[in-house]
Amino acid sequence: MNLLLPAMTLGMPNLDPGGVVSQTSRTRNGLDNMDDVPGVQRRSGVFRMIQADQLVKWFGPTRAVGGLSFSIPKGQVVGFLGPNGAGKSTTLRMLTGYLPPTSGSASIAGHNVLTESEAARATIGYLPESTPLYPEMRVYEYLDYRGKLLSMTRSDRVRRSAEVCDRCGLTHIRRRLIGQLSKGNRQRVGLAQALLHEPAVLFLDEPTAGLDPNQIKHFRELLGELREKHTILLSSHILTEIEKTVDRVLILKEGELVADGTTDELCGKVLGGPRVLLDVQAEAHAVHSALAGISGVREIEVTAHDGWCHAEVAPAGNQDLTDDLTKKLADKGLKVREATRRKPNLEDYYLQLFREPKDTANRATA
Amino acid sequence: MPHVLTIAKRELSSLFFSPVAYVVLGLFGFGTALLFLAGFGPGAPAEMRNLQWSVLWLMIPLVPAISMRLISEEFRSGTIEPLMTLPISDTQVVLGKWLGAMGFFLTLMVPIAILVAVLGSNANPDFGPILVGMLGLLMVGGLYLAIGTFASATTQSQIIAFLLTTAMVLAFSPLAVLLARAGWVADRPWIKQGLFYINVFGQFDDFAKGIIDLGRVVFFISGTGLFLFFATLTLQSRRWR
Repeated sequence: MNLLLPAMTLGMPNLDPGGVVSQTSRTRNGLDNMDDVPGVQRRSGVFRMIQADQLVKWFGPTRAVGGLSFSIPKGQVVGFLGPNGAGKSTTLRMLTGYLPPTSGSASIAGHNVLTESEAARATIGYLPESTPLYPEMRVYEYLDYRGKLLSMTRSDRVRRSAEVCDRCGLTHIRRRLIGQLSKGNRQRVGLAQALLHEPAVLFLDEPTAGLDPNQIKHFRELLGELREKHTILLSSHILTEIEKTVDRVLILKEGELVADGTTDELCGKVLGGPRVLLDVQAEAHAVHSALAGISGVREIEVTAHDGWCHAEVAPAGNQDLTDDLTKKLADKGLKVREATRRKPNLEDYYLQLFREPKDTANRATA
Repeated sequence: MPHVLTIAKRELSSLFFSPVAYVVLGLFGFGTALLFLAGFGPGAPAEMRNLQWSVLWLMIPLVPAISMRLISEEFRSGTIEPLMTLPISDTQVVLGKWLGAMGFFLTLMVPIAILVAVLGSNANPDFGPILVGMLGLLMVGGLYLAIGTFASATTQSQIIAFLLTTAMVLAFSPLAVLLARAGWVADRPWIKQGLFYINVFGQFDDFAKGIIDLGRVVFFISGTGLFLFFATLTLQSRRWR
């Protein structure tokens, strides 16, 4: 049940073609306004705010990142996906200049992160994983401290500190000690410090980790506002969050880029067409055996709950199996409460991407 | 330089945030007052030499306790990452940390300054040697804190940083003297001379006597600079790993 629910409830809104069109036009607007960013590289007319060329990182005998290359134009919001240990945080650390790559290079707004490190770092805002902060400082003290180290003038610090506190919902707790804040509020402080100097590029490592659903919703709204001014690369485990907020998705697997495209492009690569979701009053094995014989069925997942079964059926092609499935169940005398179709979402693609080796292994042992 | 001061100020206020700071300050003030009173009375010489030597010994466990958390705590809590991704240099971070710790060390000297005032109000001491002795203590404090900053940059454990600093501080004074007197260096005068040269207590002796020797000043300043340089290199070395 856990596996299927998010896909069912949250997959649909992203398939609205209007949303995709507006995202694309927003990106284009961003690209048109590049005159104010000095030193930004052009290639084939595209301005690259974040550029990674064959980034490799070894930790002793372990390869964390292997030959990663991508570029992100101005104004794009990019989601970084992958399982734990895929190299997401390591890549962000290399891009922010915290860790040097073993080989390869990277540049931010045209500044090489190794040879022009300080210039590159001046253009970024960074929210590291697990949001490390000084617990003994008060929120406004911490923001002022960061502002000073970012060479902001006193008036800028006062103005921006108030702005980011307002934006991140910190105004009422700005005099509190950071050590006494909840995880969600600490996360907001981390975000506020990343936004303080209005950086051209934002790196957010797991920005919604530890936030409650309401806070996640607010974060998504905030991200919607931020995309007007910033180029954003954010990593996340929560696929639905990525799907709703980003223009483009990069998926890492064992340190290598295995997918790069818009959510729609990636969803289009999911094997088979729209899935059929059924609620049937029967035992799981009865539903499974009833549906297994139907031609055109590629995959069936059945989960049982309180005498009802939830079945998700993936077709082999693009055909609509709803009628065939409900008819077969009715023939077997099984009561169907609900039958709907769901277009593939990012989670389907993600699971497809990371399930293949396991399936191959199963076949091999069989 | 403004960045160095910003980091130093934060470091100092973070040191004072911990109750340990007040315990250290209280114990140090109490201990020095007792030591002072032990040699204070009618007919006793109006000087601070003995007290300053006692403080020099007290500094061996005390200074590593101040410096142990400077950089190791940033590593442990992960705050090193948002710090090092700011457009500031590793040198600025190291200098700021050291300067913040020096600020705390200066606070520790306040009880001694009060004792000097007490001595001045009850007797007629020669303030020259006393002030030069205090300058010597500052020089030693600066060097020990630089060693502590370096040790703190090598580990994320405060305990290891403390032990490493104490070991190095000991090596720079009592151990160096013991080694210099050992039999195996008798026919190696250059080792013997070297060991006597790095002996911080020996270098401090002139200050305690009220003599400002440029050579001694150079020793402390260059030693401090060297260990701060090592600390910077250690911090930078993560970029080569």
